[in-house]
Amino acid sequence: MFDELKQILVTSFQADPTEVTPDARLQDLGLDSLDMVELSLVLKSEWGVAISDDELIEYQQVGAVVAAVESRTARL
Amino acid sequence: MSTDVMSTDVAVTGLGLVTPAGIGAAANWAAVCAGRSTADRDPALAGQLVDISCRVPGFDPVALLGPRPARRLDRFVQFAVVALREALRDAGLDAPGAAGGARVGVVVGCADGGPSTVEVQHRTLLERSPDQVSALLLPMQLPNMLAGQLSIECGATGPSMVVATACASGTTAIGLARDLLLAHRCDVVITGGSEAMVTPLVMAGFSQMKALSRRTAQPRSASRPFDRDRDGFVAGEGAGILVLERIGDAAARGVRVRARIAGFGASADAHHVTAPDPDGRGAEQAIRAALADAGRAGTDVDHVNAHGTGTPSNDVVESRVLHRTVGERALVTSTKGVTGHLFGAAGAVEAAYTVLALEEQLVPPTANLDEPDPQVRVPVAQKPTPLRMSTALTTSFGFGGQNAALVVSAA
Repeated sequence: MFDELKQILVTSFQADPTEVTPDARLQDLGLDSLDMVELSLVLKSEWGVAISDDELIEYQQVGAVVAAVESRTARL
Repeated sequence: MSTDVMSTDVAVTGLGLVTPAGIGAAANWAAVCAGRSTADRDPALAGQLVDISCRVPGFDPVALLGPRPARRLDRFVQFAVVALREALRDAGLDAPGAAGGARVGVVVGCADGGPSTVEVQHRTLLERSPDQVSALLLPMQLPNMLAGQLSIECGATGPSMVVATACASGTTAIGLARDLLLAHRCDVVITGGSEAMVTPLVMAGFSQMKALSRRTAQPRSASRPFDRDRDGFVAGEGAGILVLERIGDAAARGVRVRARIAGFGASADAHHVTAPDPDGRGAEQAIRAALADAGRAGTDVDHVNAHGTGTPSNDVVESRVLHRTVGERALVTSTKGVTGHLFGAAGAVEAAYTVLALEEQLVPPTANLDEPDPQVRVPVAQKPTPLRMSTALTTSFGFGGQNAALVVSAA
Protein backbone atom coordinates (compact mmCIF):
# COMPACT_ATOMS: atom_id res chain seq x y z
CA MET A 1 0.00 0.00 0.00
CA PHE A 2 2.92 2.35 0.73
CA ASP A 3 4.19 1.94 -2.82
CA GLU A 4 0.79 2.77 -4.29
CA LEU A 5 0.40 5.87 -2.13
CA LYS A 6 3.94 6.93 -3.00
CA GLN A 7 3.05 6.60 -6.67
CA ILE A 8 0.05 8.92 -6.19
CA LEU A 9 2.07 11.47 -4.24
CA VAL A 10 4.76 11.53 -6.93
CA THR A 11 2.61 11.54 -10.06
CA SER A 12 -0.42 13.54 -8.92
CA PHE A 13 1.14 15.84 -6.33
CA GLN A 14 4.66 16.22 -7.71
CA ALA A 15 6.33 14.98 -4.51
CA ASP A 16 10.05 14.22 -4.81
CA PRO A 17 10.25 10.38 -4.90
CA THR A 18 13.42 10.36 -2.81
CA GLU A 19 11.62 12.24 -0.04
CA VAL A 20 8.54 10.00 0.14
CA THR A 21 9.22 7.74 3.14
CA PRO A 22 6.83 6.44 5.82
CA ASP A 23 8.13 9.14 8.17
CA ALA A 24 7.74 12.01 5.68
CA ARG A 25 5.12 14.62 6.53
CA LEU A 26 2.62 15.36 3.76
CA GLN A 27 3.15 19.07 4.34
CA ASP A 28 6.90 18.71 3.86
CA LEU A 29 6.24 16.93 0.56
CA GLY A 30 4.57 20.14 -0.66
CA LEU A 31 0.90 19.37 0.00
CA ASP A 32 -1.10 22.32 1.31
CA SER A 33 -4.65 22.31 2.69
CA LEU A 34 -6.15 22.33 -0.83
CA ASP A 35 -4.01 19.35 -1.79
CA MET A 36 -5.23 17.49 1.31
CA VAL A 37 -8.76 17.75 -0.11
CA GLU A 38 -7.47 16.64 -3.51
CA LEU A 39 -5.68 13.63 -1.94
CA SER A 40 -8.85 12.74 -0.05
CA LEU A 41 -10.74 12.76 -3.40
CA VAL A 42 -8.10 10.54 -5.02
CA LEU A 43 -8.22 8.02 -2.15
CA LYS A 44 -12.00 7.90 -2.50
CA SER A 45 -12.10 7.59 -6.28
CA GLU A 46 -9.09 5.27 -6.73
CA TRP A 47 -9.48 3.00 -3.70
CA GLY A 48 -12.97 3.72 -2.42
CA VAL A 49 -11.56 4.72 0.97
CA ALA A 50 -13.14 7.68 2.79
CA ILE A 51 -10.47 9.64 4.64
CA SER A 52 -11.29 13.32 5.06
CA ASP A 53 -8.80 16.12 4.51
CA ASP A 54 -8.97 16.91 8.22
CA GLU A 55 -7.94 13.34 9.02
CA LEU A 56 -5.08 13.56 6.54
CA ILE A 57 -3.86 16.74 8.21
CA GLU A 58 -4.10 14.99 11.58
CA TYR A 59 -2.17 11.89 10.42
CA GLN A 60 0.60 14.15 9.07
CA GLN A 61 2.92 11.30 8.02
CA VAL A 62 2.74 9.08 4.97
CA GLY A 63 3.01 5.95 7.13
CA ALA A 64 -0.01 6.96 9.21
CA VAL A 65 -2.08 7.49 6.06
CA VAL A 66 -1.03 4.04 4.80
CA ALA A 67 -2.09 2.51 8.14
CA ALA A 68 -5.47 4.25 8.00
CA VAL A 69 -6.07 3.13 4.42
CA GLU A 70 -5.13 -0.46 5.30
CA SER A 71 -7.35 -0.59 8.39
CA ARG A 72 -10.34 0.90 6.55
CA THR A 73 -9.86 -1.37 3.54
CA ALA A 74 -9.68 -4.39 5.91
CA ARG A 75 -12.99 -3.39 7.50
CA LEU A 76 -14.79 -3.40 4.16
CA MET B 1 15.42 66.54 -16.95
CA SER B 2 12.90 68.68 -15.11
CA THR B 3 10.20 68.20 -17.75
CA ASP B 4 10.38 64.46 -17.15
CA VAL B 5 10.00 64.83 -13.40
CA MET B 6 6.78 66.81 -13.96
CA SER B 7 5.59 64.55 -16.76
CA THR B 8 2.29 62.71 -16.62
CA ASP B 9 3.82 60.10 -18.91
CA VAL B 10 4.77 56.78 -17.38
CA ALA B 11 7.54 54.59 -18.70
CA VAL B 12 7.10 51.13 -20.15
CA THR B 13 10.26 49.37 -18.93
CA GLY B 14 9.34 45.74 -19.52
CA LEU B 15 7.29 43.66 -21.96
CA GLY B 16 6.26 40.01 -21.93
CA LEU B 17 4.07 38.28 -24.52
CA VAL B 18 2.46 34.86 -24.82
CA THR B 19 0.11 34.88 -27.82
CA PRO B 20 -0.85 32.83 -30.87
CA ALA B 21 1.94 34.76 -32.62
CA GLY B 22 4.48 33.14 -30.29
CA ILE B 23 6.03 33.07 -26.84
CA GLY B 24 8.24 36.10 -26.21
CA ALA B 25 8.20 39.64 -27.59
CA ALA B 26 10.75 38.95 -30.33
CA ALA B 27 8.84 35.96 -31.73
CA ASN B 28 5.64 37.98 -31.57
CA TRP B 29 7.03 40.93 -33.46
CA ALA B 30 8.45 38.75 -36.22
CA ALA B 31 5.14 36.90 -36.66
CA VAL B 32 3.00 40.03 -36.53
CA CYS B 33 5.17 41.77 -39.12
CA ALA B 34 5.04 38.68 -41.34
CA GLY B 35 1.28 39.23 -41.41
CA ARG B 36 0.25 35.58 -41.54
CA SER B 37 -2.86 34.58 -39.67
CA THR B 38 -2.45 32.02 -36.88
CA ALA B 39 -6.04 30.74 -37.07
CA ASP B 40 -6.47 27.00 -37.48
CA ARG B 41 -8.82 24.10 -36.85
CA ASP B 42 -9.19 23.51 -33.11
CA PRO B 43 -9.68 19.89 -31.97
CA ALA B 44 -11.21 21.19 -28.69
CA LEU B 45 -14.05 22.66 -30.77
CA ALA B 46 -14.68 19.60 -32.93
CA GLY B 47 -18.34 19.24 -33.84
CA GLN B 48 -19.16 22.93 -33.30
CA LEU B 49 -20.44 25.19 -36.04
CA VAL B 50 -17.30 27.31 -35.61
CA ASP B 51 -14.34 25.02 -34.97
CA ILE B 52 -11.42 27.40 -35.57
CA SER B 53 -9.35 29.49 -33.17
CA CYS B 54 -5.92 30.99 -32.62
CA ARG B 55 -3.95 29.01 -30.02
CA VAL B 56 -0.61 29.78 -28.40
CA PRO B 57 1.83 27.51 -30.26
CA GLY B 58 3.90 25.07 -28.21
CA PHE B 59 2.64 26.23 -24.80
CA ASP B 60 3.78 23.42 -22.50
CA PRO B 61 2.95 24.44 -18.92
CA VAL B 62 4.97 21.60 -17.37
CA ALA B 63 8.10 22.58 -19.30
CA LEU B 64 7.59 26.34 -18.85
CA LEU B 65 6.39 26.46 -15.25
CA GLY B 66 6.95 23.04 -13.67
CA PRO B 67 4.46 20.29 -12.84
CA ARG B 68 2.93 21.84 -9.71
CA PRO B 69 1.90 25.21 -11.27
CA ALA B 70 0.84 23.28 -14.36
CA ARG B 71 -1.60 21.35 -12.17
CA ARG B 72 -2.76 24.13 -9.86
CA LEU B 73 -3.03 27.20 -12.13
CA ASP B 74 -5.67 27.69 -14.79
CA ARG B 75 -4.37 28.32 -18.30
CA PHE B 76 -5.15 32.07 -18.13
CA VAL B 77 -2.87 32.41 -15.10
CA GLN B 78 -0.19 30.17 -16.64
CA PHE B 79 0.03 32.45 -19.70
CA ALA B 80 0.39 35.51 -17.48
CA VAL B 81 3.11 34.00 -15.27
CA VAL B 82 5.23 33.16 -18.33
CA ALA B 83 4.68 36.67 -19.74
CA LEU B 84 5.44 38.22 -16.33
CA ARG B 85 8.82 36.49 -16.10
CA GLU B 86 9.80 37.83 -19.51
CA ALA B 87 8.61 41.34 -18.60
CA LEU B 88 10.55 41.34 -15.31
CA ARG B 89 13.74 40.20 -17.08
CA ASP B 90 13.22 42.91 -19.67
CA ALA B 91 12.80 45.53 -16.93
CA GLY B 92 15.85 44.29 -15.00
CA LEU B 93 13.59 43.37 -12.08
CA ASP B 94 14.00 39.59 -12.22
CA ALA B 95 16.32 39.23 -9.21
CA PRO B 96 14.46 37.70 -6.24
CA GLY B 97 12.51 40.45 -4.47
CA ALA B 98 13.39 43.11 -7.05
CA ALA B 99 9.71 43.57 -7.94
CA GLY B 100 8.51 42.93 -4.39
CA GLY B 101 7.25 44.97 -1.47
CA ALA B 102 4.46 47.39 -0.65
CA ARG B 103 5.23 49.87 -3.45
CA VAL B 104 4.69 47.35 -6.25
CA GLY B 105 1.13 46.93 -7.53
CA VAL B 106 -0.57 44.57 -9.96
CA VAL B 107 -3.47 45.71 -12.17
CA VAL B 108 -4.38 43.23 -14.89
CA GLY B 109 -7.37 42.68 -17.12
CA CYS B 110 -9.35 39.56 -17.81
CA ALA B 111 -12.84 39.00 -19.21
CA ASP B 112 -13.73 35.52 -18.02
CA GLY B 113 -11.29 33.96 -15.52
CA GLY B 114 -10.92 30.22 -15.97
CA PRO B 115 -13.94 28.78 -17.78
CA SER B 116 -12.09 25.58 -18.77
CA THR B 117 -11.67 24.69 -15.08
CA VAL B 118 -15.36 25.43 -14.47
CA GLU B 119 -16.43 23.26 -17.41
CA VAL B 120 -14.33 20.28 -16.26
CA GLN B 121 -15.53 20.51 -12.65
CA HIS B 122 -19.14 21.03 -13.69
CA ARG B 123 -18.92 17.74 -15.55
CA THR B 124 -17.63 16.11 -12.34
CA LEU B 125 -20.57 17.58 -10.42
CA LEU B 126 -23.13 16.26 -12.91
CA GLU B 127 -21.56 12.91 -13.75
CA ARG B 128 -20.16 11.98 -10.34
CA SER B 129 -21.09 13.92 -7.22
CA PRO B 130 -20.61 17.23 -5.42
CA ASP B 131 -18.10 15.65 -3.06
CA GLN B 132 -15.81 14.82 -5.99
CA VAL B 133 -15.50 18.46 -7.10
CA SER B 134 -11.95 19.75 -6.78
CA ALA B 135 -10.99 22.07 -3.94
CA LEU B 136 -8.92 23.89 -6.56
CA LEU B 137 -12.03 24.90 -8.53
CA LEU B 138 -12.29 28.40 -7.08
CA PRO B 139 -8.59 29.18 -6.61
CA MET B 140 -8.09 28.20 -10.25
CA GLN B 141 -11.04 29.89 -11.91
CA LEU B 142 -11.73 33.16 -10.08
CA PRO B 143 -10.70 36.05 -12.34
CA ASN B 144 -8.85 37.89 -9.54
CA MET B 145 -6.46 34.94 -9.12
CA LEU B 146 -4.66 36.37 -12.14
CA ALA B 147 -3.56 39.38 -10.10
CA GLY B 148 -3.17 37.31 -6.94
CA GLN B 149 -0.75 34.89 -8.57
CA LEU B 150 1.32 37.66 -10.18
CA SER B 151 1.61 39.32 -6.74
CA ILE B 152 2.77 36.00 -5.29
CA GLU B 153 5.30 35.59 -8.12
CA CYS B 154 6.75 39.05 -7.46
CA GLY B 155 6.33 39.17 -3.68
CA ALA B 156 4.46 42.39 -4.45
CA THR B 157 2.26 43.47 -1.54
CA GLY B 158 0.87 46.69 -3.04
CA PRO B 159 -2.63 47.00 -4.52
CA SER B 160 -3.51 43.92 -6.58
CA MET B 161 -6.63 43.63 -8.70
CA VAL B 162 -8.25 42.44 -11.88
CA VAL B 163 -10.35 44.80 -13.95
CA ALA B 164 -13.06 43.42 -16.18
CA THR B 165 -14.30 45.49 -19.11
CA ALA B 166 -14.64 42.48 -21.43
CA CYS B 167 -12.53 42.99 -24.56
CA ALA B 168 -11.26 46.34 -23.26
CA SER B 169 -9.92 44.86 -20.00
CA GLY B 170 -6.22 44.92 -20.92
CA THR B 171 -6.37 48.53 -22.06
CA THR B 172 -8.36 49.62 -19.03
CA ALA B 173 -5.86 47.87 -16.75
CA ILE B 174 -2.90 49.72 -18.27
CA GLY B 175 -4.72 53.05 -17.90
CA LEU B 176 -5.54 52.37 -14.26
CA ALA B 177 -1.97 51.18 -13.62
CA ARG B 178 -0.74 54.52 -14.92
CA ASP B 179 -3.18 56.32 -12.62
CA LEU B 180 -1.80 54.42 -9.59
CA LEU B 181 1.71 55.57 -10.51
CA LEU B 182 0.70 59.18 -11.11
CA ALA B 183 -1.17 59.20 -7.77
CA HIS B 184 2.08 57.93 -6.15
CA ARG B 185 0.27 54.96 -4.65
CA CYS B 186 2.85 52.65 -6.24
CA ASP B 187 6.39 52.95 -7.65
CA VAL B 188 6.12 49.98 -10.02
CA VAL B 189 2.93 48.49 -11.46
CA ILE B 190 2.74 45.15 -13.24
CA THR B 191 -0.09 45.48 -15.75
CA GLY B 192 -1.60 43.96 -18.87
CA GLY B 193 -4.11 41.19 -19.38
CA SER B 194 -4.55 37.47 -19.86
CA GLU B 195 -7.27 35.24 -21.24
CA ALA B 196 -7.92 31.55 -21.91
CA MET B 197 -11.59 31.37 -22.80
CA VAL B 198 -11.46 29.31 -25.98
CA THR B 199 -13.53 26.51 -24.44
CA PRO B 200 -16.41 24.51 -25.89
CA LEU B 201 -19.06 26.26 -23.79
CA VAL B 202 -17.78 29.81 -24.28
CA MET B 203 -17.29 29.31 -28.00
CA ALA B 204 -20.78 27.89 -28.37
CA GLY B 205 -22.04 31.08 -26.74
CA PHE B 206 -20.07 33.33 -29.08
CA SER B 207 -21.26 31.30 -32.03
CA GLN B 208 -24.88 31.77 -30.98
CA MET B 209 -24.28 35.52 -30.85
CA LYS B 210 -23.17 35.39 -34.52
CA ALA B 211 -19.97 37.16 -33.52
CA LEU B 212 -17.52 34.61 -34.96
CA SER B 213 -16.23 34.25 -38.50
CA ARG B 214 -17.78 31.21 -40.15
CA ARG B 215 -15.04 30.90 -42.73
CA THR B 216 -14.11 27.57 -41.18
CA ALA B 217 -13.11 25.95 -44.46
CA GLN B 218 -10.28 28.51 -44.81
CA PRO B 219 -9.14 29.22 -41.24
CA ARG B 220 -6.09 31.25 -42.33
CA SER B 221 -8.25 33.81 -44.09
CA ALA B 222 -11.03 33.97 -41.48
CA SER B 223 -9.69 36.89 -39.42
CA ARG B 224 -9.71 39.83 -41.88
CA PRO B 225 -10.16 43.18 -40.13
CA PHE B 226 -11.29 46.10 -42.32
CA ASP B 227 -11.58 43.81 -45.36
CA ARG B 228 -14.71 43.96 -47.50
CA ASP B 229 -15.36 40.24 -47.00
CA ARG B 230 -14.89 40.07 -43.21
CA ASP B 231 -17.61 38.14 -41.39
CA GLY B 232 -16.66 38.10 -37.71
CA PHE B 233 -13.74 37.58 -35.38
CA VAL B 234 -11.63 34.51 -34.64
CA ALA B 235 -11.15 33.75 -30.94
CA GLY B 236 -7.65 33.65 -29.52
CA GLU B 237 -5.87 33.23 -26.21
CA GLY B 238 -2.78 34.59 -24.50
CA ALA B 239 -1.31 37.24 -22.26
CA GLY B 240 0.52 40.55 -22.46
CA ILE B 241 2.31 41.92 -19.40
CA LEU B 242 3.93 45.36 -19.13
CA VAL B 243 6.06 46.84 -16.36
CA LEU B 244 5.27 50.53 -15.76
CA GLU B 245 7.18 53.06 -13.68
CA ARG B 246 7.27 56.85 -13.41
CA ILE B 247 9.74 58.34 -15.88
CA GLY B 248 11.93 59.78 -13.12
CA ASP B 249 12.19 56.45 -11.31
CA ALA B 250 13.08 54.61 -14.50
CA ALA B 251 15.78 57.21 -15.21
CA ALA B 252 17.13 56.89 -11.65
CA ARG B 253 17.30 53.10 -12.07
CA GLY B 254 19.08 53.57 -15.36
CA VAL B 255 16.70 51.19 -17.12
CA ARG B 256 15.76 51.45 -20.76
CA VAL B 257 12.44 53.22 -21.36
CA ARG B 258 10.83 51.38 -24.26
CA ALA B 259 7.96 53.83 -24.71
CA ARG B 260 5.67 56.04 -22.67
CA ILE B 261 2.01 55.70 -21.78
CA ALA B 262 1.05 59.34 -22.29
CA GLY B 263 -2.73 59.34 -22.02
CA PHE B 264 -5.73 57.22 -21.05
CA GLY B 265 -9.41 57.59 -21.72
CA ALA B 266 -12.32 55.35 -20.73
CA SER B 267 -16.03 55.59 -21.36
CA ALA B 268 -19.30 53.69 -21.53
CA ASP B 269 -21.69 53.67 -24.46
CA ALA B 270 -24.67 53.37 -22.09
CA HIS B 271 -26.48 52.00 -25.11
CA HIS B 272 -26.72 48.18 -25.41
CA VAL B 273 -25.07 45.11 -23.86
CA THR B 274 -23.36 43.99 -27.07
CA ALA B 275 -24.17 46.28 -30.01
CA PRO B 276 -21.86 49.29 -30.22
CA ASP B 277 -23.42 52.72 -30.31
CA PRO B 278 -24.17 53.08 -34.05
CA ASP B 279 -22.36 56.42 -34.17
CA GLY B 280 -19.49 55.24 -31.98
CA ARG B 281 -20.03 58.07 -29.53
CA GLY B 282 -18.66 56.14 -26.55
CA ALA B 283 -15.56 55.12 -28.48
CA GLU B 284 -15.06 58.70 -29.63
CA GLN B 285 -15.38 59.98 -26.07
CA ALA B 286 -12.69 57.54 -24.86
CA ILE B 287 -10.30 58.49 -27.69
CA ARG B 288 -10.82 62.22 -27.15
CA ALA B 289 -10.28 61.77 -23.40
CA ALA B 290 -7.02 59.89 -24.00
CA LEU B 291 -5.77 62.57 -26.42
CA ALA B 292 -6.70 65.36 -23.99
CA ASP B 293 -5.00 63.49 -21.14
CA ALA B 294 -1.84 63.26 -23.25
CA GLY B 295 -2.06 66.89 -24.34
CA ARG B 296 -2.14 65.81 -27.98
CA ALA B 297 -4.33 66.78 -30.90
CA GLY B 298 -5.86 64.06 -33.05
CA THR B 299 -3.66 65.19 -35.90
CA ASP B 300 -0.56 64.45 -33.79
CA VAL B 301 -1.32 60.72 -34.00
CA ASP B 302 0.96 58.87 -36.45
CA HIS B 303 -0.28 55.31 -35.97
CA VAL B 304 -3.30 53.49 -34.54
CA ASN B 305 -3.39 49.87 -33.39
CA ALA B 306 -7.15 49.58 -33.72
CA HIS B 307 -9.60 47.34 -31.93
CA GLY B 308 -10.38 46.09 -35.48
CA THR B 309 -12.04 42.80 -34.62
CA GLY B 310 -13.18 41.91 -38.13
CA THR B 311 -16.87 41.96 -37.28
CA PRO B 312 -18.94 43.75 -39.91
CA SER B 313 -20.19 46.42 -37.49
CA ASN B 314 -17.09 47.13 -35.38
CA ASP B 315 -14.72 47.95 -38.19
CA VAL B 316 -16.98 50.43 -39.99
CA VAL B 317 -18.07 52.22 -36.82
CA GLU B 318 -14.48 52.30 -35.53
CA SER B 319 -13.12 53.65 -38.82
CA ARG B 320 -15.68 56.48 -38.74
CA VAL B 321 -14.69 57.31 -35.17
CA LEU B 322 -11.01 57.32 -36.11
CA HIS B 323 -11.77 59.53 -39.10
CA ARG B 324 -13.49 62.03 -36.81
CA THR B 325 -10.85 61.95 -34.07
CA VAL B 326 -7.45 61.49 -35.73
CA GLY B 327 -8.25 62.13 -39.39
CA GLU B 328 -6.70 60.50 -42.43
CA ARG B 329 -3.00 60.86 -41.66
CA ALA B 330 -2.47 58.16 -39.04
CA LEU B 331 -1.70 54.71 -40.43
CA VAL B 332 -4.09 52.21 -38.87
CA THR B 333 -3.51 48.49 -38.35
CA SER B 334 -5.33 45.62 -36.70
CA THR B 335 -2.99 42.91 -35.47
CA LYS B 336 -6.05 40.72 -34.81
CA GLY B 337 -5.66 39.56 -38.40
CA VAL B 338 -2.64 37.61 -37.13
CA THR B 339 -3.54 36.84 -33.50
CA GLY B 340 -7.31 36.62 -33.52
CA HIS B 341 -9.21 38.29 -30.69
CA LEU B 342 -7.61 37.77 -27.30
CA PHE B 343 -10.57 39.27 -25.38
CA GLY B 344 -9.36 40.63 -22.04
CA ALA B 345 -5.73 40.24 -23.12
CA ALA B 346 -6.23 41.95 -26.49
CA GLY B 347 -5.66 45.51 -25.31
CA ALA B 348 -2.52 44.58 -23.40
CA VAL B 349 -1.03 42.64 -26.30
CA GLU B 350 -1.89 45.43 -28.74
CA ALA B 351 -0.39 48.06 -26.41
CA ALA B 352 2.80 45.97 -26.42
CA TYR B 353 2.73 45.81 -30.25
CA THR B 354 2.27 49.60 -30.27
CA VAL B 355 5.38 49.97 -28.10
CA LEU B 356 7.29 47.72 -30.53
CA ALA B 357 5.98 49.65 -33.55
CA LEU B 358 7.25 52.93 -32.05
CA GLU B 359 10.63 51.37 -31.22
CA GLU B 360 11.05 49.84 -34.65
CA GLN B 361 9.37 52.75 -36.50
CA LEU B 362 7.43 50.11 -38.38
CA VAL B 363 3.66 49.65 -38.68
CA PRO B 364 2.75 45.95 -38.80
CA PRO B 365 0.31 44.85 -41.50
CA THR B 366 -3.33 43.84 -41.16
CA ALA B 367 -3.36 40.18 -42.20
CA ASN B 368 -5.90 39.20 -44.87
CA LEU B 369 -6.72 42.80 -45.77
CA ASP B 370 -6.98 42.05 -49.48
CA GLU B 371 -9.67 44.53 -50.42
CA PRO B 372 -10.38 47.30 -47.92
CA ASP B 373 -14.05 47.92 -47.21
CA PRO B 374 -14.97 51.04 -49.21
CA GLN B 375 -16.81 52.33 -46.15
CA VAL B 376 -13.48 52.47 -44.28
CA ARG B 377 -12.11 55.95 -44.92
CA VAL B 378 -8.90 55.79 -42.91
CA PRO B 379 -5.67 54.31 -44.29
CA VAL B 380 -5.08 50.75 -43.04
CA ALA B 381 -1.68 49.06 -43.46
CA GLN B 382 -1.76 46.08 -45.83
CA LYS B 383 1.98 45.44 -45.60
CA PRO B 384 4.69 46.23 -43.03
CA THR B 385 5.23 49.96 -43.43
CA PRO B 386 8.27 51.90 -42.16
CA LEU B 387 7.04 55.20 -40.75
CA ARG B 388 8.45 58.07 -38.70
CA MET B 389 6.29 57.94 -35.59
CA SER B 390 6.31 59.66 -32.24
CA THR B 391 2.68 59.31 -31.15
CA ALA B 392 0.40 56.29 -31.41
CA LEU B 393 -3.08 55.39 -30.24
CA THR B 394 -4.51 52.01 -29.32
CA THR B 395 -8.22 51.35 -28.83
CA SER B 396 -10.34 48.62 -27.23
CA PHE B 397 -14.10 48.29 -27.02
CA GLY B 398 -15.81 45.70 -24.84
CA PHE B 399 -19.19 44.04 -24.61
CA GLY B 400 -21.11 46.08 -22.10
CA GLY B 401 -20.28 49.17 -24.14
CA GLN B 402 -17.05 49.71 -22.22
CA ASN B 403 -14.37 51.56 -24.15
CA ALA B 404 -10.74 52.39 -23.47
CA ALA B 405 -7.98 54.15 -25.38
CA LEU B 406 -4.30 54.77 -24.68
CA VAL B 407 -1.91 57.27 -26.20
CA VAL B 408 1.55 55.71 -26.42
CA SER B 409 4.55 57.85 -27.31
CA ALA B 410 8.10 57.02 -28.34
CA ALA B 411 10.66 57.00 -25.54
